[in-house]
Amino acid sequence: MRKQTLSLVAIASGAAIALSACGGVATSTGGGDGEEYPSGSVEMYVGASAGGSSDLISRAVSTGLSEELGEQFPVINREGANGALAASEVKSADNDGSVISIQNASLFAITPLAVAEDEVTSIDDFDVVGGVSRDDYVLVTNSDNGWTSIDDLKKEDRRITYGTTGVGTGAQLSCALTYEVGEIQSEAVPFDGGAPALTALLGNQVDTACLQTGEAIENIENGKLTALSVYAPERIDFLPDVPTASEQGTDVEVYQYRFMTTPKDTPQDVKDTIWDAMQATFETEDYQAFNEQNSLTPLEVSGDEIVEMLKSDQERYASLVEEYDIDLGDAS
Amino acid sequence: MDAFLNGFAVVAQPDTLLYCLIGVLIGMLIGVLPGLGPAATMAILLPIVVSIGDPISGVVMMAGVYYGAQYGGTITSVLLRLPGEASSVVTVFDGFALAKQGKAGTALGIAAIGSFVGATVSIILLSLSAPLVAGWAVDFGPPEYAALALLGVLLVSTIGSGHPIKALIAASIGLLLATVGRDQFSGAERYTFGSLELSQGIDFVVVAMGLFGVSEILHNLEERHGKPHVPATVADIWPSRADLKVAAPAIGRGTGIGFFLGVLPGGGAVMSSLAAYATEKRISKTPEEFGRGSIKGVAAPETANNAAATSSFIPLLTLGIPANASMAMLFAALLVLGITPSPALVDENPDLFWGVVNSMYVGNVILLLLSIPLVGIFVRILRVRPAILAPITALITILGAYTLNNSTFDVFLMIAFGVIGYLMKKGGFEPGPMVLAFVLGAILENNVRRSLIIYDGDPTGFVKDPISGTILAAFVLVAAWPVAKTLLDRRRAPATTTPDRDHAGV
Repeated sequence: MRKQTLSLVAIASGAAIALSACGGVATSTGGGDGEEYPSGSVEMYVGASAGGSSDLISRAVSTGLSEELGEQFPVINREGANGALAASEVKSADNDGSVISIQNASLFAITPLAVAEDEVTSIDDFDVVGGVSRDDYVLVTNSDNGWTSIDDLKKEDRRITYGTTGVGTGAQLSCALTYEVGEIQSEAVPFDGGAPALTALLGNQVDTACLQTGEAIENIENGKLTALSVYAPERIDFLPDVPTASEQGTDVEVYQYRFMTTPKDTPQDVKDTIWDAMQATFETEDYQAFNEQNSLTPLEVSGDEIVEMLKSDQERYASLVEEYDIDLGDAS
Repeated sequence: MDAFLNGFAVVAQPDTLLYCLIGVLIGMLIGVLPGLGPAATMAILLPIVVSIGDPISGVVMMAGVYYGAQYGGTITSVLLRLPGEASSVVTVFDGFALAKQGKAGTALGIAAIGSFVGATVSIILLSLSAPLVAGWAVDFGPPEYAALALLGVLLVSTIGSGHPIKALIAASIGLLLATVGRDQFSGAERYTFGSLELSQGIDFVVVAMGLFGVSEILHNLEERHGKPHVPATVADIWPSRADLKVAAPAIGRGTGIGFFLGVLPGGGAVMSSLAAYATEKRISKTPEEFGRGSIKGVAAPETANNAAATSSFIPLLTLGIPANASMAMLFAALLVLGITPSPALVDENPDLFWGVVNSMYVGNVILLLLSIPLVGIFVRILRVRPAILAPITALITILGAYTLNNSTFDVFLMIAFGVIGYLMKKGGFEPGPMVLAFVLGAILENNVRRSLIIYDGDPTGFVKDPISGTILAAFVLVAAWPVAKTLLDRRRAPATTTPDRDHAGV
């Protein structure tokens, strides 16, 4: 009997570990009622799996917010539908600041071009607290191909394949636009995210690919890949020698950016508290080193500016897609 | 070489070492408990592993559960005639016979030594081969993965231990399930019924936890355990020199068979233990000894199941293709931790790769040292009734499924798959081929389509490409073999010619 108890203790402690993994039961209820925000842990939803850049950014900001505000900001991964599942959790949450989320611009500006209308997530359902950072796309090719610019691609008299990181992503849009605008014969090869697309590029199974800078920079620096173009408004600090698409006469600007959101009509003082803590986080050395390491360009602007950017990007992408008759997905 | 040695530095960290110890202990424990196999345990532990936070420790622990189970299963087979784990079923024959002769200690000692040798040789081969495979990483593109996944689906459904037609049906359902979700190429919704939850596809982790974990719990509730057995007394654990001499060749052959069968998709510990036992019996000059207490009959299968348990890590860690149910769970764990196994793993994440591989050297030493002294405790654990165990494991599993993605939808989906898995078992269908085909299905479909885009719609590209061509030739050989064999048997002609040469180039 004694041994039986022993094993039960072992199992029970296993259950305890599982329970503790749930964490963050006492959530914050701050704001509005005179109580100091945050009065408990604040859930930070992220619409991507652990380990990706969206997740890493959320965690970097979460660490900073915890240090500034003294409460836990657990990151909750709710992967799926380009972030729409996490967005709907935030949308339906109480607007007291107990649930917040760093969301991706692509969900609001690009995904609507690829999915059915009833699946579109609108920025009007959220309050935008402020911007976080920009993640730039880069057009890369295996160095063995000898291409160094978009013009070199135009000279090729054959079909050029390009790897993308999935349907309705900025990587797909930037590449598709480049080839359509440049009137280059091309075909998209979608992969499950950046890593397999990168491998296929290194093995020269696809001719080119649009990747996030952080995914490609190591192989650009060691010479295995050649960067042909970036899609930012101006050259980016991490790849100062790589010209923008506009410089090369291809007027394509596509970038991913992330920003802090709360449910609609969250009290202003709560949003101010979060924004102040975020700005303090942005100042820390750890956070700046994190941006550097992941090739992220700070985009620490106000929420209103972000909303404006989103609206104009959405219109711009929609008109480009229409003008060049680009098919991002069946439902578009 | 540096990375290899660094791996030991990773393992030597106290917390990694601790998780390795916890993993092998849990493995040994569930190896002792009949019913709960390593795949089910890994399914239940998966969310806990994620909460550890450090991916290396988590994977080290999960791996420990798998190879630890191979040690534990032996103990009850020998002492109680009760295989704690499917891969120790054949050990019962000679192990229990030896125990009745008062030589239980010898049987356990030989099994432990064989297990250690088999596993260690396998780890060495794994250490040597993985960097080689990683060297081809960039040559492995969509066509190669497509061909490999195709071969994998075939092997999984034909080699398994159950009924081949039923395995094939289960695998087909697995392939169908893999099509659910938003199509990666066109963005079209397939079988999602307008549900955003399903647009990402059915989560593989949820399927695996349901089919392996929940179904196993349900299944165990039905099993009635007899009254506790009185275990044989254990003495003289260190086998005599004469016994070792008898066992040595069987251990050698068991290592070879186990290593080879472990690498094959659909292979693994169960099949290799059967094959090793059969081989020993066939080549023995005194086959009548088997079943009556042959030392070789314990040494060979116990060596082989450990060798196979280790070598089955090779296809997973190098190509990202899980060879059996337990590896599918490890695959799930890696995915949840944000690591996609691929040929690049050894270069991109050397700490993880070598940390896990080298933890197996350490883990096996721990197991060798612990397996004998702990025999008494493990035998007593058998008295825990399933009625107590089941609700606790069910609770952990359900909590776990929720914490993985914070989705109640996932919890219900997992329970649904648990019920499906339970019904499958009742009908004689193994859930293994279904889960593996589900994993391979997505790899297969996406890579075939990617390849066709790359080949500009020309399917002959698959054959012209040397690597994928070779894999496809192997596919044709495996597929044609049973047909050719039946034909030959019918004609009662001696099988002297290879009947597959005509098909090989197709």
